[in-house]
Amino acid sequence: MSIVIQGRVVGLLALLLIVGSILYYMRQAYSGKIPKLRRLSAVDVIDEILGRCVEMGRPAYYLMDNVVMNNPSVLAPTVAAFQILSYTARSAARLGAKIFVPVVQGLAYTIAAEVVEEAYMAEGKIQDLNLPETVMYLPDGADRMYIINHMWSEQMAGAFFLGSWYHKAVIFTENAARVGAMMLGGTDTTHNIPFLVAICDYSIIGEELYALGAYLSEDATQASSLAGQDVGKFIALLLIILGSILATVGIDITSMLSM
Amino acid sequence: MQIPIIITSVAGILMILEYFFPMPDAVTGFNVTLRSFVAIISAAALILGTVVLSIFHVRKVGERKSEWMYSIVYVVSFVATALLGLGSVRNEIFLWIYSNMTSPIGAALYSLTAFYITSAAYRVFRARNWSAGVLLVCSFIVLLMLIPIGAILLPPVVPIGSWLRNYPSGAGFRGMIIGTSLGVMGLGVRVFAGRQKEHLGIREEKVGEQ
Repeated sequence: MSIVIQGRVVGLLALLLIVGSILYYMRQAYSGKIPKLRRLSAVDVIDEILGRCVEMGRPAYYLMDNVVMNNPSVLAPTVAAFQILSYTARSAARLGAKIFVPVVQGLAYTIAAEVVEEAYMAEGKIQDLNLPETVMYLPDGADRMYIINHMWSEQMAGAFFLGSWYHKAVIFTENAARVGAMMLGGTDTTHNIPFLVAICDYSIIGEELYALGAYLSEDATQASSLAGQDVGKFIALLLIILGSILATVGIDITSMLSM
Repeated sequence: MQIPIIITSVAGILMILEYFFPMPDAVTGFNVTLRSFVAIISAAALILGTVVLSIFHVRKVGERKSEWMYSIVYVVSFVATALLGLGSVRNEIFLWIYSNMTSPIGAALYSLTAFYITSAAYRVFRARNWSAGVLLVCSFIVLLMLIPIGAILLPPVVPIGSWLRNYPSGAGFRGMIIGTSLGVMGLGVRVFAGRQKEHLGIREEKVGEQ
């Protein structure tokens, strides 16, 4: 009997290499060497959208769609969306913009409420916050009709679509576009990236969502984790080039990969 | 506060070990039980959401806020369905409500997507510039390939459309998948190391650490 299950050796090696890189950079960060993150243009877009809302005297929506946090593939974009929400709520409090944050899951609701409350407190504007109206719990399914209706009745001037997005991406963004809202969209669910890119005025693609979250949260762990992930990207790039060359010259690598 | 983090790390590492290494039946069985816990714990989160929503609507009715009459619909529907469901989920009326009201409403709402996709396509597929023009041509070829009459009217769309989907589009998607998968791995490391606690409902203000 082999030590590792047949066909999973390469996966295990890749996992060890990438996890090792992430842990290395995290260790470096705790000893004071924090990787520098590039400022994404989306940071300025957040303020631009909120500024527009203030000028027009109309509110903005911050939507995260799927926030079921016991699913690892949903947790990652949701955590990034919370980090961006923290910055967005602080900007909204500072500029005096009204935001609505509907959430469709209990645990995420408590976190979103806490994030928004902390943001208003940090800006010394807690008296301007009506928490139950700002962070709303909506049952999954009923949220579609409520949000569409609310977008029209309040004439949203801005909207953020960040997190793990599924079919609702096209429903909400299309309505927001018709209302005339300026939009920032970003998700890592590959099949919905095209909708957000196509309809939103500004978009961040895939992993940029994590980078934006890490940049705005100013968290050393997040920044170092991103640096470790970059090592994984370089390895992937190298393997793609190597694999293309080997396949082109006729060397079969499938048996090697299925070790 | 260390106990939930330790439980998360041990459970997560066990799942990873089970994927890569042959494990004794006891460990595999334990992992199966752990996975069944996920459904139960997720259901518990619903209770909090339901309580928050009910409080909101009851208050709205009490304070006669705008559109308060719709909140009555919620309260009545919620109480009736909950009472019937708590009695028995096999209750005929409860099943009728689910089959003839909840399920069709859900399907109708989901079907809205088709109409919005159409209007979104109209918004996007306009040759405003060179790159939008490329998008328009490619999407037209793929759409023709996917509809039965397309291949009859214009047979070359089938190989061209397949090539577009398998190579340029496939390569782009794989790049995104690699990026997001690495992101999930990074999250896993942070969760196991106890540096990311949002999944436990804990959020620490980290501003200024950097």
